[in-house]
Amino acid sequence: MSNGNQASDMSEGSSGDEYAVSVPEGRGRDRDADGEASTIIESRDLSVWYNDEQALQSVSMEIPEKRVTAMVGPSGCGKSTYLRSINRMNDLIDAARVEGEMLFNGKNVYDDDVDPVALRRRIGMVFQQPNPFPKSIYDNVAYGLRLQDRTENLDEKVEEALRKAALWDEVKDQLDQSGLDLSGGQQQRLCIARAIAVDPEVVLMDEPASALDPVATSKIEDLIDEMAEEFTVIIVTHNMQQAARISDKTAVFLTGGELVEFDDTDKVFENPENDRVEDYITGKFG
Amino acid sequence: MSGDSSTEALTRRTQNSSRELLAKGFFFGCAALSVATTLSIIGLLTFEAAKFFSITAPLVGIDGPTATLTEFFTGSEWGLQGPNLGVMPLVAVTLMVTIGSGLIAIPLGVATALYLSEYASERARSYLKPALEVLAGVPSIIYGIFAVAYITPALDALFGVDGLFNVASACIVVGIMILPMVASVSEDAMQAVPDDLRQAGYGMGATKYDVSTGVVVPAAASGIFSSFILALSRAIGETMAVTLAGGSLAREFDPTSLSSYLSLFDPESYLEPGMTMTAAMIQLLTGDVTGGGLAYRSLFAVGLVLFVITLGMNVLSDLIARRYQEDYQ
Amino acid sequence: MSDTDEFGRVSRRVGQLFRGVLLASTLAGILTLAVLLVYVANDAFRPLTADPGWHLTFLLTFVLPTLGVGWWSYQRSYGTLTTGLLGIMLPTIAALYAGGLAALFIDVIPTLVWLSFVVAFAIPVGVVVALDRTERDIPFLAEITAVLAVTAGSLLFVPDLVQGLPTVPADWMVLVLTIGIPEALLLGRWTRGRWGRRAGLTTGAGIVVGSAVAGVLGTVTGVGAIPGVALALFAGVPTALYLSVVAIERPERRAGLLLPAVIVGGALVGELFVGALGFAGPESWVDWGFLTSTVQRGADPGAVGIYSGIVGTILLMFTVAAIAIPAGVGAAVYLEEYAPDTTVTRIIDVNISNLAGVPSVVYGLLGLGLFVRYGGAQTGTLLVGGATLALLVFPIVIISAREAIRAVPDSARQASYGMGATRWQTVKNVVLPRAFPGILTGTILALSRAIGETAPLLVIGAAQVFGVPDSWNSTVGAMPLQLYVWASTYASPAFYTTVLAAGIVVLLTAMLSMNSIAIYVRNHYEQR
Repeated sequence: MSNGNQASDMSEGSSGDEYAVSVPEGRGRDRDADGEASTIIESRDLSVWYNDEQALQSVSMEIPEKRVTAMVGPSGCGKSTYLRSINRMNDLIDAARVEGEMLFNGKNVYDDDVDPVALRRRIGMVFQQPNPFPKSIYDNVAYGLRLQDRTENLDEKVEEALRKAALWDEVKDQLDQSGLDLSGGQQQRLCIARAIAVDPEVVLMDEPASALDPVATSKIEDLIDEMAEEFTVIIVTHNMQQAARISDKTAVFLTGGELVEFDDTDKVFENPENDRVEDYITGKFG
Repeated sequence: MSGDSSTEALTRRTQNSSRELLAKGFFFGCAALSVATTLSIIGLLTFEAAKFFSITAPLVGIDGPTATLTEFFTGSEWGLQGPNLGVMPLVAVTLMVTIGSGLIAIPLGVATALYLSEYASERARSYLKPALEVLAGVPSIIYGIFAVAYITPALDALFGVDGLFNVASACIVVGIMILPMVASVSEDAMQAVPDDLRQAGYGMGATKYDVSTGVVVPAAASGIFSSFILALSRAIGETMAVTLAGGSLAREFDPTSLSSYLSLFDPESYLEPGMTMTAAMIQLLTGDVTGGGLAYRSLFAVGLVLFVITLGMNVLSDLIARRYQEDYQ
Repeated sequence: MSDTDEFGRVSRRVGQLFRGVLLASTLAGILTLAVLLVYVANDAFRPLTADPGWHLTFLLTFVLPTLGVGWWSYQRSYGTLTTGLLGIMLPTIAALYAGGLAALFIDVIPTLVWLSFVVAFAIPVGVVVALDRTERDIPFLAEITAVLAVTAGSLLFVPDLVQGLPTVPADWMVLVLTIGIPEALLLGRWTRGRWGRRAGLTTGAGIVVGSAVAGVLGTVTGVGAIPGVALALFAGVPTALYLSVVAIERPERRAGLLLPAVIVGGALVGELFVGALGFAGPESWVDWGFLTSTVQRGADPGAVGIYSGIVGTILLMFTVAAIAIPAGVGAAVYLEEYAPDTTVTRIIDVNISNLAGVPSVVYGLLGLGLFVRYGGAQTGTLLVGGATLALLVFPIVIISAREAIRAVPDSARQASYGMGATRWQTVKNVVLPRAFPGILTGTILALSRAIGETAPLLVIGAAQVFGVPDSWNSTVGAMPLQLYVWASTYASPAFYTTVLAAGIVVLLTAMLSMNSIAIYVRNHYEQR
C-alpha cells in the first residue's frame, strides 16, 4: 500500500510539507490530526446487550469534532453497534439494552428527556447498502429537509447537498428520475447527499463502500476527506487500508465488543501499543 | 455549539408529537377493532342464545317461549313450530357433509400437495397453484348451482336419485371447495421439511417415491393434519352450497340411539336430501326474524354451536401447526 | 433387462405409478371445475343454436386469424404476446367497469348531487393544501381542528347550495368537470415526467377535449351522454395511454399490438358478413336484455334480468372498500410498525387469524344483531350490508396488508429513521408507498371475495326483491343474492340451466376481471 504520490496530490495548504514526511502511505489528510480539535462525542463506560449477549464492553472514547474517526475490527466486534448507539438506532431493536453514557456536546443522549428523533436530525447516517428511497433524486435529497419543514429555498439546498456529495454534475439533468436508476456508487453518494442536506453535525457511516467497486470506493473516500471540513465523520470499515487512508483517529475493536486501542491513525498503524492490534493489522488474526 | 442550546434542541420533543399520537391512536384503534369484532361475535351469540334456553332466559330477563337444553341437544326433530327444536338432526347432516367432503378433499389435497412440493417443475407449479386458487375463489352460491344443475343429474344417471336435492352433491362441491386449503397448507408443511432429511434419504439409496412417502409425509405429518382440521372447519361453516344442494328439509335423527349414528355412514342416506346447521339458519330467515321471537333466538343458538365448533377446530389446527414449526426452527 | 447391469436396478415402476396418481389427483379438482364451467358456458351462450354458417364465418374471420397471430406473437417473443394480450384485456375490462360506473350515474347518483359533493369535499382539500403551503407556524391541533370544522361546514351547506343553483350543467359537463379534469391533471403530470412538457400538455388537453367530445357524441348517437363520457375516461384514456407507452418505449414489442387489432377487426368483419349473409347467431341467455332488465320475478326465464344485482354489487363493493381498507391497513400498520412484542399484541395476532376462519354466516348474525337489532338500522340496507361484508373481509385485508408491509426491506426504514424521521413520517413516506402494490393486490382479492358472498346478506335480511338502491337506507341486492333468489324460488331445470347459467357467467366475469387486475399488479411490481 504505497502510493505516496496520491498523498502529495491531495495535500495542500501550508501544513502539507510537514506531513509529507510523517504521514504514512496513502494518507490524504492535511488536517492537524493531533491539534486542538474539541470533543463532540464522548462515551463513558458504554455497554450494549442484545438479549443476554453483550455486544459492547464498557467502551470509553472521545471523538474529536470535524475529524474522520474510523472504527475497525473483525466482524461481530461491536463496531457497528457502537456506531448505532451514537444516534440511538439501536432503539429500533426491541432486544437491545444500553448502559453507560454517550455524550453528544456534553449531553447524554440516553437521558430520558432526549428525543431520539431530534437526535437523528443532527447526526446523519449512511448505511452499508446504498438505500435510496424509490423516489426521484430530488425528493431523496429533499426528504430530510421536508421532514423538518425546512422547505425554504429547497432547490438551492438540494443543489448544494448534491454538489457537496460530488454528484451534482452527474445528475443535474435528471433530478426527476428515480434514485434507483443510478449506479451503486452514485446511489451511495446520493445517500450521502441525503444525509448532509440537513446540515448534521456528525455523519455516521456504516461500511459505506463495502458494497461498491474500487472506482466508486475511491470516489467515496475522496468525498469523506472533503466532508471532514464541515462535519464530524465516524466511519465503520473492515478495510484496514481504507481506515489508514482516510481517518485521523482509529479505534480498534476486537471480538466481544472490547475497545482495545484508540489513538491517532498513524500511531495505531505504525506503532500500536497492543500486540493483538498489531496481529490484527498485519493480518495474522481476524 | 454551546452546550446549553444544543441540549435544548435535543430535548425538544419532536415537533408534531400530537400528530404522532393521533396517527398511532388511529392505527391502534384499527387493530383494536379486530378484537372488538371477536368480542362482539362472542357476546352477541352468547347473549341472544341465552334468551333461547329456559335455563338462562330468566337471567337475561326473558319470559317468552323458550327451549330446554334437553330439547335442544337430544330432540330428534327440527322444525319451526313448537317443540321440534332438536339441533342434532342438523348437526348430523353437517357431519355427513363434513365426512363426505373430507373423503374427497383429504386424499386429493394431500396428493396435490405432495405433487406440487416434491414432483412438479417450477413451471408446472406456476400454472397449477393459481388454478387451485381459482377453485377456492369461485363463490359458494355458484357451487350450489353446479350441484343442483349438473352434479345431481350425473348422480341420478349413476345411482338414481329422486328430486333435485341430496347430500352427496353437496359433499362433492364442498369437497372441491376445501381441496385447495388442504393442498396449500399441507404443501407449506412439506416445503418446511428441511432438505437435509431428503438428502439423507437419497444418500441411503431411496427412490423419490420412498423419500416422498417415507420421509417427507411423516416429517410433515402434524402440518398435514392441521390442514385437515382447518379444511373440515370450512366445510362445517359452508353455507350457500349446502343450502342449495342439500335442500331445506330437516331429517329425523335420534341422538340417543346408536343406529342413527350408523346411518351417517350409510351411502344410501347420502342420496337423500338433508339440512345442515347453516342451511337451517338460512331457512329460518325466510320468516320475519328480526322481531326477536323464538325463531330469531334459535338462529343465534344454532349460530353459537356453529361458532364454537369452528373456532375450536381453528384453534386446534393452529396449535398443531405451531408444534411442527417448532420442530424445525 | 435389469440383470445386465452389475449393480442391478431398483425398480421405479411403483414410483412412476405413484407420480401418475399424484398428477391425476392434482388435476382432478381443476378438471372437474373446468368441465362444469364448460357446461355453464354452453347453457348460458347456447352456441349450438347458431347457424352453421355463423360459426364458419367467425371461424374464418375471427378464430383462425386470432390463433394465427397469437402463435406468431408467441414465436417472436413472450413479451410480444403479453403486450398483445394486455392490449385486448385492458380495454375489455376497462369498458366493463366504465359501464358499471355509468350505471351508477344513470340510476343511483344524479350528476348534480355528485357535483355538489365533489365541490363540498374539494373545499377542505383546498384548505389542507393551502395550510401546507404556508410557512407553518400553526400548531397541529389547531390545524386539524380547522380542517375538521371546514369539512363539516362544507358538507353541511355546500351540497344544498350547489343543488340549488339556478342553471344546471348537463350530465356530461359534470363528469368532464369532476372526473375528466382531475384525471387530465394526474395523467398529464405522469406523461410530463416521462416524455416531457409537451406530452404532458397534449395528454391533459386530449383527455378533457376527448371526453367532452365523447359526451356530445353519446348524446347525438343515442348511446347516452353519461356512458359516452364514462367509456372515454375509464376505457378510452387508459387504452390510449397503454398504446402510447408501447409505441414510444417498447419498440421491440410494437408487433404485439397486431393481436388486438386482429381480434377487433375480425369480430367487426365477421359481424358484417353474418349480417349480410343472414346467418342467425346463438340465442344466448347472456344478452343486453338480461344485463339491463330490472325485472326480477316471473316464471318466464326470458323476461328476468340481473341489472339490479349488478348495481347492488357495485355499491356494496364501494361501501366495503371505504370501510374495510382504511381499517384493515391501519390495523396492519399498527401490528407491523408500532406494536411492541407483548402479550396483548400476540392476542391480537391470534385473534385475527381466528377471525379469518369464522364462517361467513356468523358474520351475518353479527351484522343482524349489531346493526339491525341493537343499532336500530333497517334490515337489508346498503349500509348494513356493506358494513357486514366489511367486517367479513376485515381480517383478510389485515393479513394481506401485513404481508405487504413485512416485504418492505428494513433498509428503507433504517434510512428514514436515520434521517431523523418519526414513526408516522416513516410509515407515510416510506412504508406505505412501498407496500402499496402488495396492499392493492390483497385488497382487490378481498373485495372480490366480498362480492361473491351471499349468506351474510341473507342473514341481515336482504329482500328477495330489491330493486336499484338510491340511498344508504334503501334495500340492496347483489348478483349472488339474485342467483340465490332465482335458485330457491324457481327450483326447476327451466331456471337452473338458463338464466342461472347466465348469472354465473356475469358474476364470474366480474370476479375474474378483478382477480386478473390483482394478479397483473402483483406481477408487474414483483419484476421490479
